[in-house]
Amino acid sequence: MSVLKKPDLTDPKLRAKLAKGMGHNYYGEPAWPNDLLYIFPVVILGTLACVIGLSVLAPSPIGEKADPFATPLEILPEWYFFPTFNLLRVIPNKLLGVLSMAAVPVGLITVPFIESVNKFQNPFRRPVAMTVFVFSVVFAIWLGIGATMPINKALTLGLF
Amino acid sequence: MINLFLLKYKTAFSTFLKPFAYLSLILSVCFYSIQAQAFPVFAQQAYENPREATGRIVCANCHLAQKPVEIEVPQAVLPDTVFEAVVEVPYDLSLQQVTGNGTKGPLNVGAVVILPEGFTLAPKDRISSELKEKTKGLIITPYNEANPNILVVGPVPGKDHQKLVFPVLSPNPAENKNVHFIKYPVYVGANRGRGQVNPTGEKSNNTVYTSPIDGQIVKLEKSDNVTSFSIKSKTGDIITVKVPFGPDILVKEGQTLVADQQLTNDPNVGGFGQVETEIVLQSPARVKGLIAFFFTVILAQILLVLKKKQFEKVQLAEMNF
Repeated sequence: MSVLKKPDLTDPKLRAKLAKGMGHNYYGEPAWPNDLLYIFPVVILGTLACVIGLSVLAPSPIGEKADPFATPLEILPEWYFFPTFNLLRVIPNKLLGVLSMAAVPVGLITVPFIESVNKFQNPFRRPVAMTVFVFSVVFAIWLGIGATMPINKALTLGLF
Repeated sequence: MINLFLLKYKTAFSTFLKPFAYLSLILSVCFYSIQAQAFPVFAQQAYENPREATGRIVCANCHLAQKPVEIEVPQAVLPDTVFEAVVEVPYDLSLQQVTGNGTKGPLNVGAVVILPEGFTLAPKDRISSELKEKTKGLIITPYNEANPNILVVGPVPGKDHQKLVFPVLSPNPAENKNVHFIKYPVYVGANRGRGQVNPTGEKSNNTVYTSPIDGQIVKLEKSDNVTSFSIKSKTGDIITVKVPFGPDILVKEGQTLVADQQLTNDPNVGGFGQVETEIVLQSPARVKGLIAFFFTVILAQILLVLKKKQFEKVQLAEMNF
């Protein structure tokens, strides 16, 4: 980054933007042509090489033919449903299980309404929100791993 | 199978070929005893394909306990190449199981590998001496004529063969139009120890026996190979349960029983497990093309960065940015 444009602090428009925490694209390395013309293609080619390399070396498998009369030995949904699937199978009451699945999107819908209780954006100044978030991520990953295990290890993961 | 042999035996007699008939009788007896040893044969006789539509491997119909197994195959293989598929059957080597006559003995292991269509057992002349050393003592055979891609081995002594190495030959899509350069699934089932059920549906002597009814044991009789329990129900009927030697008997004569109470312990220490993995049949041309493509990408990226560095000099010289 040898070509760096300095911010023109005599410009009142820029000063007004900077005061609002904006306008950071008015200084630094120029986007055109340094970034857009030269570095973007480097990244695009790199991504393309990764995708083509993976598709040649590890092609996606062709699954088994579907048979509506044969239930597979292991019933597992797509990986992103693992945590809720695990909830559904370990909760003995199926109505509660379905409600627990519905609780996930319902809980997410409430986030925009209660988010502004704390006015700070900085995660370190939002201890309650961060605790809830970190706990639910760990809980979801834990349940997700449990979903791939036999039912007697679904909650303990066989660790204790 | 036996009927077939008997038929042969009769026809042979009717054509006055007595010596040959005796020979065939001896052969058939030998063959039958081999079958009684080689338990994958039970599956080979009963099932055209050892993998059911549900994905269950049929060994699990007789080997009821579940134990872990592992499979190791290369991530990708080139066409017409010999590679090894390693099945691991771990168990505690100090364990002893009951054998057919009720005495204790070491465990045997066996495995079935269901390869993709076109993959076969490597012919002897293609196997390297190193691989020959690894597969020593293993008689690996195709499951049946219709499925040369399904390989079975066993039973073999488990203490020497916790790792079962299968030499496999990959097919060539240029010769076999049914195979393609794609990713294929490989299904593996492996077992240690004897089964709990015979192919006839009867229990073997390697499983737990229970009382069929509420009642009292009126007589407990040991004859050759079998312990007979005569259980008198409350209505006065006497039901006899025959338990072959092997499991330890937990009840005494005169004891009252409830239905499903264990008459014996569960002597089984083995178990069956199945896993699946994937293998890519890789085209050499694709790999070469990929390497060439990677080089052009890297070259293009280097040239772009060099061009940027050159243009930055122009920008700095003209002070225009």
